[in-house]
Amino acid sequence: MILAAANLLIGLFLLAPMIVVVATAFTTTNYPVFPPVGFTFKWFHEFLSNTDFTDATQRSAVLATVSTLLSTALGTLSALALARWRGRGQQAVTMFMLSPILFPTIVLGLALLVFYSRVGLSGTFIGLVIAHSVVTTPFVIRLVLAGLAEFDPSVEEAARNLGAGWWRTFFLVTLPLIRPGVLAGAIFAFILSFDELVITLFLAGPGMQTLPIRIYTFVEYSSAPTISAIATVLIVAWVAIGVPVYARFLSIRHK
Amino acid sequence: MSQATSELAAAERPERRDWSPLLLAAPNLIWLLLFMTGALVTLAIMSLHGYEAGGRGILPTWELTHYKAFLTDRFFLDILVRSLLMSLYVTLWCLLLGFPFAYALSRVRGWKRAVLYFVVLAPLLTSAVVRTFGWMILLSNNGFINKTLMNIGLIEMPIPMMYRMTGIVIALVQVLLPFMILALDAALLNIDRQLYDAARNLGAGAARIFFQVTLPLALPGIVSGSILVFTLAISAFVTPALIGGPRIPVMATLIYQQGIALLNWPFGGAISFVLLAVLLSILGLALAIAGRGRRAAR
Repeated sequence: MILAAANLLIGLFLLAPMIVVVATAFTTTNYPVFPPVGFTFKWFHEFLSNTDFTDATQRSAVLATVSTLLSTALGTLSALALARWRGRGQQAVTMFMLSPILFPTIVLGLALLVFYSRVGLSGTFIGLVIAHSVVTTPFVIRLVLAGLAEFDPSVEEAARNLGAGWWRTFFLVTLPLIRPGVLAGAIFAFILSFDELVITLFLAGPGMQTLPIRIYTFVEYSSAPTISAIATVLIVAWVAIGVPVYARFLSIRHK
Repeated sequence: MSQATSELAAAERPERRDWSPLLLAAPNLIWLLLFMTGALVTLAIMSLHGYEAGGRGILPTWELTHYKAFLTDRFFLDILVRSLLMSLYVTLWCLLLGFPFAYALSRVRGWKRAVLYFVVLAPLLTSAVVRTFGWMILLSNNGFINKTLMNIGLIEMPIPMMYRMTGIVIALVQVLLPFMILALDAALLNIDRQLYDAARNLGAGAARIFFQVTLPLALPGIVSGSILVFTLAISAFVTPALIGGPRIPVMATLIYQQGIALLNWPFGGAISFVLLAVLLSILGLALAIAGRGRRAAR
C-alpha cells in the first residue's frame, strides 16, 4: 500500500516535465505557465509559420536519416560479427564497440571539434553525420544483438550447404530473420540522432542549426510557448513510435 | 572428383580460423578508431600545447601548464568537487526513487506492467532539452511548485530552485531515473520468485527478505545502474547549463565554455582528461568494492 503510493508519486515525478510542456503548449498567455490559462492552437501555428524552426526541423530530419542509414549498416554488421565471434577478444571488442554509450559526449564533442579542424571536416554536414553515427551505432548493435539471441546460426549453414553464396544467404536468410532488431535499432538511432544536442553544438557550422540547437538557444534567452508546442509534437511523435518498439524488446529480453 | 577431395581436405583441416567476424566488424572498428580514438588522441596532443590568450592562440610548444593550472587553482577544483557531489546526489536519489519503482515493475504482469513501462520509457524517449525546459517552468520562483507550496501554507517565501544546485539535481534525477529503473528491473527480474516463497515459508519477515534476498541479488543492477547514472550525470551539459546557468559552473559547462566561447582548446582538452581520469578512478573503485562485496556475500 505504502509502496503503491510511493510509486504513484515517483511516476508523477517521471512524467511531470512532460505534462507541463504539453499543457503549456495550449496556454493563451505569452509565456509558458502551468496550469495553462485558456486554450489555443496559436503556438503550433507559430511553430509552423516560423521558418527558423521549420528549416531546422527539415535539417534535423535529413541529418538523422543519413546518419541512421550509416549507423544501421555499421551496427548490424558489428552485431553479426559479435554474435559469431568465437574465442579471444570477443569481450574486449564488444566493450570497445559499446563504449560510446558511456563515453562523456561533452569530451567527444570537443575532441571531434579539434580533430575535424585538423582533417578539414570543420563545420561540414558530413562531419555531423559521422559524429552522429559514432554515438548511435552502439544502440543499433545492442538491439540487433537482442534480436540475434533467438537466431539459430545453423539456418545459415543450411543455406550455404544448399549452394547459396554469401550475399544470397545474407539477404534471403539472415536479414529477414534479424529484421525486427535491425528495424528497432534504426528507429532508435533516428530518434537519438534527431535529438542529439551536445556534440552537434560543438560541430555545427554557421547555417547548420538543427532543431535541438534552435530549441536550446531559444530556451536560453527567451521563453514563449512556441517551444512547448514544438516539444509537444516531438514528445507525441517519439513516444508513439518509440515506446512500442522498445517495450517489445524489453519483453523479449525479460521472458 | 578432384573438387570433392579438396573439399574433404578443407573439412578435415584442423580448426580453420574463421575470419568472417573480423571482416564484418572491420568497418565499425575502423570508424571508431578514427573518429573516437583518433579524435581523443588529437585532443590529448592538443592539451599539451601552450596557449596565449588573445595573441597567438595555440602555440607549438609542449607543456603541462594547463593541467597544472587546473589542479592548482581553487576556482577550478571547486568546479570539479561540485560536479562530483552533484553526480553523487543524483545517483543516490536515483537509487532511492528507482528501487521501489523497479521492484513494483519486476513483480507485476500484463497491463499494469505496460503502464509502468510507459511511465519509464516516455521520459527516456523525450530529449533532455525538452524535459529541462519543463522543469524550468516548474521550478521558477513563481512556478507551479512554489505557488502550490505557498497556497497550502507550507512556505511563506518561494524556495529558490532555479540557478541553484537544488534545481539541477531535481531535474537531473528525472532525466536519468529511467536508466536506473531499467538497470534495476533487469536485475530484479532475474531473481527466481520461488526464492521469495522459500524465504517466507522459512519464516523470514518482509524486512529480512528485502535485506537478505532482494538486495544482495539486485546488487549487479545497483552497480551497473549507479555507474551508468553517475557517468551520465557528470558529463551532463544541457540541464546544468539551462537550470544552473553561468552562476553554477560544472565540469561539462566549463569544457563547453573553454572549447566554444573562449576557443582555448588546449585548456579545454586538459579539463576533459582530468574529468576522464577522475571518472575512470571512481568507476574502478566502485567496481572493486562491488566485487569484494559480492565475494563477501557468498
